Amino acid sequence: MVMVETNELVKRYKETTALDGINLNIDRGLVYGLIGPNGAGKTTLIGLLAGLRTATSGTMRLDSNYYAVLPDSPAFDPWLTAYEVVDLSRNLAPTDVPKSAVDEVLEQAGLTEAAHRKVSGFSRGMLQRLGIAATVVGGPDLLLLDEPAAALDPAGRREVLDLVASMRGKATVLFSSHILDDVQEVVDEIGILRRGQLVYDGSLDGLIARQSPRARYVVEVRGDGQGLAQSLLSQPWVVMAAATDSIVTIESRSAEDIEGNLAGAVAGYGLPVVSMNPHVRSLEEIFLEVTA
Amino acid sequence: MSLWRLEWIRLTRTGRIFILLAVFFAFGIIGPLSVRYLPELLEAAGSEEAITSLPPVTPEFAMSSYLGNALQIGLLAIAFVGAAALAIDAKPEISVFFRSRASIRNVITPRFIVVSAASVLAFATGVVTAAVTSGILIDWPEAGPTILGSALVALYLVFVVALITVMGSLVRKVPATALLTVGTLIVLSIIGLVEPISPWLPSYLVGGFDAILNGGDFVYWRAIAATTAVIFGFVAIAVVRLENREV
Repeated sequence: MVMVETNELVKRYKETTALDGINLNIDRGLVYGLIGPNGAGKTTLIGLLAGLRTATSGTMRLDSNYYAVLPDSPAFDPWLTAYEVVDLSRNLAPTDVPKSAVDEVLEQAGLTEAAHRKVSGFSRGMLQRLGIAATVVGGPDLLLLDEPAAALDPAGRREVLDLVASMRGKATVLFSSHILDDVQEVVDEIGILRRGQLVYDGSLDGLIARQSPRARYVVEVRGDGQGLAQSLLSQPWVVMAAATDSIVTIESRSAEDIEGNLAGAVAGYGLPVVSMNPHVRSLEEIFLEVTA
Repeated sequence: MSLWRLEWIRLTRTGRIFILLAVFFAFGIIGPLSVRYLPELLEAAGSEEAITSLPPVTPEFAMSSYLGNALQIGLLAIAFVGAAALAIDAKPEISVFFRSRASIRNVITPRFIVVSAASVLAFATGVVTAAVTSGILIDWPEAGPTILGSALVALYLVFVVALITVMGSLVRKVPATALLTVGTLIVLSIIGLVEPISPWLPSYLVGGFDAILNGGDFVYWRAIAATTAVIFGFVAIAVVRLENREV
């Protein structure tokens, strides 16, 4: 069952096209990661879905009874306490939420001790955690989180990611991030935005599988690897070979080519081999490839 | 915590309600005090001519003096205090919190009503202070006309808050909202010089305070009707504009 659906969604600001024909389908209960470089349109897309901005054209549909949005830099009236912020949010939820929920989410956000302190003294990370507490307190069935872990230290980020992961099945979560490790860790599906276009929408595995079939190996030899790299370049199955000191990186058109020929070619060159391993591309490398 | 309580807290914790009360309270003392002792002050300054041109020292003159002084600084204070609450998009991140949780109508209504109530309360505090000061120094003003005249000014103050509300939907920042409000009030007072239009304008209500205290007829129904309609109109326009404005 689809929770978020957009059809040819376009957003233009005068001459600039921030979003260009976005077709998005997010199933109910999924954690969906939206990634892309700065200016790709992530915040604009979340703003449109949250009803904070108006689309230039296209349609969208949220099958949500109550959705909550967290901006990338949450801010609150500075004279309120953390407890009051969350309690206000609880009170504005469409369903009756017990007052005890305020303490619970403040505890989850690690803000119990700061609950009755004024927000004006909060650090950026504390504001981010307070924003998350205020977002989840009403029990929304759709969470739109814009860079929820951006301002947090490693421990805080861990807590937020755990919180996002814990929402799986209970609510649909769409969260944007430029920290690819975070996305890789918690999402079920991923969308990559580049210059306002959704260049990938699907599973992480699908993204990795969709990449170039070229295979890459990294060989470490005893001594300088320049000669070996030159030698390998003369092989018909090698499309790239480069050495940095004793590390030689070799790329072929297919895994079969490299697996069938590399060991023999390296052994034939005669340099002692320290190690020989396939290079698994990180999400970051794939991301850079897709958004290049 | 409800949106109504939030507005009350906004006024008290920021001290804005106390600023409003202090301004009107101060003029509630200064107005009658200056009327009572102005002849002595002018005499001490040697301005014999000015003394002879002074109106008689009456409680009506004392109340009039309060209103004249209080409405200048008081309106400026109301404009800034009101704009701080009613320029809801001044800080987009805070605006997102409210806009994504409540309708614009539900956000604006408590802000408009609480700021209006605070403004009227501050003005009324000034009226009582001026009446008491006058009672001690000069004589007591008549209660009926004072209340009736104050009610007209109170309606005018609600109009000012409605004007702030609509200005907050035209611009985003607090100072811009406040200054645009004050500018519009100045323009309206100039338009009020045009005789046929004047009885329909909200500013006509302010003149009613003096006139009623001095025994004038009650000729303010047109201004009351027009002002009431404008108040509702301004708030409705603000809601529609804010609903259609992107954060």
